[in-house]
Amino acid sequence: MLDIYTWFYTGVVLVIIGSIGSVIGPGVNDPVIRTLNLEIPAIGLSLILLTYNSTIALLTYIAATTIITMILLRAIVRLEELGAEL
Amino acid sequence: MTATVLVPNVVSPVVVGLFLPAVFTGIIVGLIGLLSISYQKNDLHALILTDIVGIGMLIIVASVGTDLAESLVLPGLVVELAEIMAISEILMSREIRKQGKTVDLMPMPLNLDMEVLTTAPIFFAIILVAYGAFLSGFTGGAIAGGGILFYVITRLARGVPANIWEGLAGASGIAWCLWLVGFLIFFVAPDYWLLALFLSAFGVFIKVTFKASLVGVMGREEFKKE
Repeated sequence: MLDIYTWFYTGVVLVIIGSIGSVIGPGVNDPVIRTLNLEIPAIGLSLILLTYNSTIALLTYIAATTIITMILLRAIVRLEELGAEL
Repeated sequence: MTATVLVPNVVSPVVVGLFLPAVFTGIIVGLIGLLSISYQKNDLHALILTDIVGIGMLIIVASVGTDLAESLVLPGLVVELAEIMAISEILMSREIRKQGKTVDLMPMPLNLDMEVLTTAPIFFAIILVAYGAFLSGFTGGAIAGGGILFYVITRLARGVPANIWEGLAGASGIAWCLWLVGFLIFFVAPDYWLLALFLSAFGVFIKVTFKASLVGVMGREEFKKE
């Protein structure tokens, strides 16, 4: 049933598919969509950390990935404001 | 699938069994990220794709599966965060210089005029700092620092005197030294492990708190510009 391997391999599949999706997925020429696609491997990594009982690492990762998304979106918005080609 | 390296008995066999799949996943994800970066022409897209390499690195670190992994994930995350922050700033300033025009530091019109920002900060800051002091360590520092950051951002006063900056930076440096002394005591005089534990825990707590409050001071300088 839902044993520990289920969570682990679900995480593995999510990480690999999500990273492929954010590299060659649909619509990734838009940097916002590419940034949002990165959330899928982030969920997979969270499942893997959960499998290993790394609670503090999981909490810190959630906080850090939020800040990273904010920084990336700020960079995208400012570069678009400047009229750089994206 | 079992690992063929020497493993101490305290590591559970489930973790040992998951070691090789986790390492291979990390390597595959890292290769995907690095290949995509090498084919990528645009700098901003390459910056976004470095996140994938960071995820691969974290999977490899997590595959150790013990407390060592937890303690190694934290510095890895901090390094990744600092790297992305620095490179995004470099990209923006290079674009500004290329265009040769002056722009605002903060392009979004942030007119923070909500009631919660005038009534709540003291309460939030007290609760978060008390809870962070109870937790201690890196996590407690992050929580207490978040409270101070929120408080500092929402206060209306502008212009921080230079000696406050230097005082905060110096105090966080001293706390960092306490952390180092704590670690030294662990190895030099293991009998005093409780003292060493508290020195390390509260040293890193004070340091992370002050660093986060410095970020809050910087953020206030940007938000309250008009």
